[in-house]
Amino acid sequence: MTGRFMETAPQETAPLFRMEGISKRYGGVRALEDAELSVHAGRIHAILGENGAGKSTLIKIMSGVVAPDQGRMMLDGQAVSFSSPAEANKAGIVCIFQELSLIPELSVADNIVISDPPKKFGMIDRRAQRKIAEEALARAGASDVHPSALVKDLPLSRRQMVEIAKALARKPRILILDEATSALTAADVSKVFEVLKRLRSEGLALLYISHRMHEIAELADDCTVFRNGRRIATYKAGAKSDTEVIELMIGREYQNVFPPKPAAASGKPPILECSNLSWTDRLTDISFTVRRGEVIGLGGLDGQGQRELLLALFGVLRGCTGEVRIDGQPVKLVSPAHASSEKIGMALIPEDRKTEGLMLPMTVRENLAFAAMDKVSKRGIIDREAEDRLLDEMVKLLTIRTAGLEIPVGALSGGNQQKVVIAKWLMRHPRIILLNDPTRGIDVGTKQEIYQLLRRLADQGAAIVFYSTDYDELIGCCDRVLVLYDGAIKRELVGAEITEHALIASALNIGAAEAARMARTNA
Amino acid sequence: MSDTATTGGAASRMPRFLRKVDPAVATSFACIIALLVFGSLYSTSFLSPEYLLQQLKVASFLGVIATGMMLVILLGQIDLSVPWTVTTGAMMASAAAAFGPAGIVLAIPFGILCGILIGLVNGIGVAYLRIPSMIITLATNAVAQGLMVVYTGGFSPQDSASEAMRWLATGSLVPGVPNAVVVWALIGAVTVFVLTRTTFGRSVYAIGNRERAAYLSGVDTRRIVMIAFAAAGGLSAFGGVLLAGYASKAAQSMGDPYLLPSIAAVVLGGTSILGGRGSYLGTVAGVILITLLQSILSVMQMPEAGRQIIYGVVIVAMLLLYGRAPASR
Repeated sequence: MTGRFMETAPQETAPLFRMEGISKRYGGVRALEDAELSVHAGRIHAILGENGAGKSTLIKIMSGVVAPDQGRMMLDGQAVSFSSPAEANKAGIVCIFQELSLIPELSVADNIVISDPPKKFGMIDRRAQRKIAEEALARAGASDVHPSALVKDLPLSRRQMVEIAKALARKPRILILDEATSALTAADVSKVFEVLKRLRSEGLALLYISHRMHEIAELADDCTVFRNGRRIATYKAGAKSDTEVIELMIGREYQNVFPPKPAAASGKPPILECSNLSWTDRLTDISFTVRRGEVIGLGGLDGQGQRELLLALFGVLRGCTGEVRIDGQPVKLVSPAHASSEKIGMALIPEDRKTEGLMLPMTVRENLAFAAMDKVSKRGIIDREAEDRLLDEMVKLLTIRTAGLEIPVGALSGGNQQKVVIAKWLMRHPRIILLNDPTRGIDVGTKQEIYQLLRRLADQGAAIVFYSTDYDELIGCCDRVLVLYDGAIKRELVGAEITEHALIASALNIGAAEAARMARTNA
Repeated sequence: MSDTATTGGAASRMPRFLRKVDPAVATSFACIIALLVFGSLYSTSFLSPEYLLQQLKVASFLGVIATGMMLVILLGQIDLSVPWTVTTGAMMASAAAAFGPAGIVLAIPFGILCGILIGLVNGIGVAYLRIPSMIITLATNAVAQGLMVVYTGGFSPQDSASEAMRWLATGSLVPGVPNAVVVWALIGAVTVFVLTRTTFGRSVYAIGNRERAAYLSGVDTRRIVMIAFAAAGGLSAFGGVLLAGYASKAAQSMGDPYLLPSIAAVVLGGTSILGGRGSYLGTVAGVILITLLQSILSVMQMPEAGRQIIYGVVIVAMLLLYGRAPASR
């Protein structure tokens, strides 16, 4: 504890790495705007921010995956720029990405030296390779992993250790960990933390990105908060309370784009009841009820099982346990064809309209009519007139801007493509509408139309289950929000309880008690 | 808004092949004309109606087989069991014809049924067991070959084709128009209708484009894939039945020369080898193009080896032109 104290004393030394005025745009989307960051040797620097705050872009720029549009980077006071991850590695910046980058069919040692294997007479020197791997594994605190074991035979937590060893074998001066602990159990996390603290005492600079507030509280020396692509604040760890940090993360921008919510629908009969739904280790004991006319939100951090829950309800996932009732009748949903049948009446607006929602090269007509072909055909033969009638109606209802029905749907703008995806399901008049982040990557105007449409459908008696990565949307649209964490519902927020603070606090899984405890330890 | 609706409505009443004249289809037809011009320079009889009708008759056998291949390729799959499905269709139909009057009546349906069964095995393997089509169809081809060799003892079978088979392949109901051409035209018309006007046809294109999107749209994609393979098997076998009728009997390996040309015809006609894109008109053009190419090469007394080399080179060339996936896929 005393050692840590000395290290957290005010830093007067020059930063090891510094970036200034960094901006990056993807098309029309501003990912980073005039961002700056200083990283010091022998310190752990935590980066905080919501989904889409610009953290990933920042790391990608640092590690040479993407080039910034503007701004400069300095290492040891010298200006640097990286055109590839290999160049960044050479300069001593190594990143451990969120997705595991190991090749399962190769051995641990093969993986560790994969980018630059030791060579002898032009061939890989197995003995040297093994030695490098052993050293790196020992340094990563994973000497129990055998270098010749195949990665696919290792459990996930060991793979993460191998990932760290692989990064260490590249002799980094700056090590970036992007959600490196999200796949680990609590016991593994504490092991990784020991390793990270030792690396810090060895003089490495560590950049740590995590959504887990208590990890940051335990580990970090400095913290920087990003929001909407801008750096909002940098402070010494422990200088701000959790509440203050969350407020920094969400900011205070509000626009009244949401339709008013009606009185609670609690009197209406439940249409979808789900009890103890589980699927592998991704969904655990999910139970909830949706009534007619309700808009239910799914909240939480990205990737906590929300997508799996929607897919499970729609009959896509095999091997789900638990019970689903529709109108009080237990049903076993086995396929999208079954879930969308007349009797069940479900619809799923999928996550990625380009690969899951639409056949981009096919025409607007073919795409729009595709989910409801049985409504416009008799004995498998399509009735063109009935189809034209229904499609024209849908194009008008959703104000889809298209130059006719015969152009490829891929020629439409993103927002209009998304309207096509929604329209094709509305043609079936679904009673239960599942939406998987339906407003991602579309313009504000179309977003607003979608919010109003959802509320209108609910008023007409449909039940809506709606996953969004945008907290504002959940607050503005939903009657209730189920917050998921690690595949389970951690909290249900009803009506006025749905606030940004409550959403974030429950998304990060810090209950009131834990928050209080943390406040005490910080004090 | 209303005027976009009207243009959409008007365009929709035009048949698919007029709405989108694929550059690949246009190229194929241009190649056909070029081949005819080239051939007529070589020999004046090349443009005679008799010769052209004869070519069309020969083309119709390939046309029937390529129709099935096109269905499968539109799905983004391939059917390599064509050679022995053709042979099985021919041998089983001829064999049935030897079983008295009932056999003669049932010869053609029985031959086709055997092909459908082979196709069904392919379809179940691809759709439900998730075996890559390249593997399973190659395997069923080998099994069909084995079964036929067991049945015939490895020799050319003694059974001969029934009267009906011969009439279908060589006769002409309308004077001057070979029945085989009529049969191909009928099958073609049905295929165009199925592909453009039925839910099955739309699903085939959709699966070829994005199987996942089709599945998530509530289409029973596995059933569609299975049916398409079964239909392809049936059409291959029917091609075999016609060939047996043409030659009066079935023979070992009679289907072998049809695998590469059937794939080539479909691809030359502009159907994407990755699936999801292509029109039947293109396949018609591809079939005629391949048949003319074959005919010219044999008139020029090009040896079989040379012909094979030219097919291969032509397919590669066309793939380079049309088959590569756009970045959006």
